Amino acid sequence: MRDFTLFIPEYIAAGAAIGVLALELALPRLRRDALAWATAAGAAAWLIAALFYVGDAPGDFEGLLRTDAFTAYFRILAAGAVLAVALLSARYLRDRTRAAGEYYGLLLMAGAGMTLLSAARELLTAYVALELLSFSLYVLVGYLKRDARSNEASLKYILLGAFSSAMLLYGISLLYGLTGSTTYAGVAEGLAARGEGTDLAALAAIMLIVAGVGFKVSAAPFHMWAPDAYQGAPLPVTAFLATASKAAGFALILRLFTEALAVDALEWRAAIAALAAITMTAGNLLAIQQTNLKRLLAYSSIGQAGYMLVAVAAIGYGDAAAAQNASSALLLHIAGYTLSTMALFAALVAHYNRTGDESIEGLRGLSATQPFLALVISASLFSFAGLPFFAGFATKLLLFQAGTGAGLLWLAGLGAANSFISLYYYLMVMRRMYLFDPPEGQTRIRPPALLGAMAGLLLLGVVFIGVYPGPVFEATDGAAAALFEASAAAFARLP
Amino acid sequence: MSFYDTWAAILIASIAGFILVFTALVGARLLGPFARERGKGVSYECGMLPTGRNWSQVHVRYYLFAIMFLIFDVETIFIFPWAVTFLDLPGFVFWYMFVFITVLGAGLLYAWRRGVLEWR
Repeated sequence: MRDFTLFIPEYIAAGAAIGVLALELALPRLRRDALAWATAAGAAAWLIAALFYVGDAPGDFEGLLRTDAFTAYFRILAAGAVLAVALLSARYLRDRTRAAGEYYGLLLMAGAGMTLLSAARELLTAYVALELLSFSLYVLVGYLKRDARSNEASLKYILLGAFSSAMLLYGISLLYGLTGSTTYAGVAEGLAARGEGTDLAALAAIMLIVAGVGFKVSAAPFHMWAPDAYQGAPLPVTAFLATASKAAGFALILRLFTEALAVDALEWRAAIAALAAITMTAGNLLAIQQTNLKRLLAYSSIGQAGYMLVAVAAIGYGDAAAAQNASSALLLHIAGYTLSTMALFAALVAHYNRTGDESIEGLRGLSATQPFLALVISASLFSFAGLPFFAGFATKLLLFQAGTGAGLLWLAGLGAANSFISLYYYLMVMRRMYLFDPPEGQTRIRPPALLGAMAGLLLLGVVFIGVYPGPVFEATDGAAAALFEASAAAFARLP
Repeated sequence: MSFYDTWAAILIASIAGFILVFTALVGARLLGPFARERGKGVSYECGMLPTGRNWSQVHVRYYLFAIMFLIFDVETIFIFPWAVTFLDLPGFVFWYMFVFITVLGAGLLYAWRRGVLEWR
């Protein structure tokens, strides 16, 4: 049915994007951070509108888009991420650029693209939504146009992004050739009923799609763009890349692999499991030797993508119940990871606004000059490593449990071993903050009010999920149930 | 007929295409007369002798004009199929194109106001 009311929250986001552009056009003399507040207000309105849609009956737009608890989950995540990144950007961009309207407009557009991606149930719709997100990010990554590194990051991201999009499109066209349909349900039906001797074509299509989405979530060996893009991008955009962009990639993977490709789990599950193992190991080992904080976080986020892929592999190896369990664990991990990353970046942006230093060495003595920021950074890093009382512990536990539940004991073991490796380089960062003296002449100063408050709130969220994950777990459970309600037909066909 | 048989025609057509191009190139090389002289290496400029080097740079400002041109150039590709078929399609298809053109027009307006069309 052609129900245009399903996406009113996204109309608000897109409207706010155009509003921000018009605002800058009409009042060129406006203070640059006023645009950030306008964007934050738009994102907050989007978030509130999204909350009204929680618990609604699943809606369907022409079989192309579906709004259910799964969509609502990612919608809230996207709106929250855009809100947080807009607030992070206010001072950062004011100090560095003259025109910021396009930055904030594209940020909102990227968020809307993420929601559409989580709603898409048709290959081309998903592709267009993915490109809406990616194109916005290509520009955002290179937004500091006087900074050579930002330009380099954008160029590398565009080239590899276009390459991965091409692979995804090849996979999509092969799937269409095989099944004669582009809707996920139609693809699943066509794959189940395909003729003899087409296994090779199906394998090629699925591997191309795996490689294409692997690029988007920066899974090794498709991670080459991530360190450069993370390092060159403006710091708030790096936060967006690490959280929303990655979450969007997994939204696409979840919809695609539980519905369209579930019937061919035999063809892709080993590849995904191998990808997970390589990604987490490569990410964590390469992170050890980094000296730049943004690069370190890029490799650490690659490692996190590896943990998340464990759940995707579990979807392939388990039955419907185990797969739903794994999806729920993945969604929970994404929530915990997003909160931890945002808290970390709030503290890092506050640090960077003052010092302009993005090396790990530059953090030395932070516990003496800005103890609160040091505390937030340590807590977020502990959460990444998966220490108890922080979000990472609860979410990773459930994630690896889902892996073992589907018989992937070796992968869960490898994940636990990798968590230990990651603890090493996280502790090296903390060593700089706590065991070294600050540079000469620096004394204790108060953190900036807004970023400090944000970091504090996000930290509370991280601890809340770590200590009492119940409420969020219920939400992810509902989202996973909705996901599998949509794909029940696909799983019924499993051998 | 299996999956691959349906595509055999395309495979044959591509092989035939390669053969055609290959024979044309090789035939020209084997049969055509060759005379090497300096004037042939000069770039062709409608008869007059070119001045300056042919590696001259194009000003980066052309880039924005090229992008604006490209947007409306591509727009026609979408408008042509719409123009021949919208009478047979449901009514909303007619209005979709208006939305599309409005979005592009708003983009042009934005670029105009931002001073993209001025040569500064």
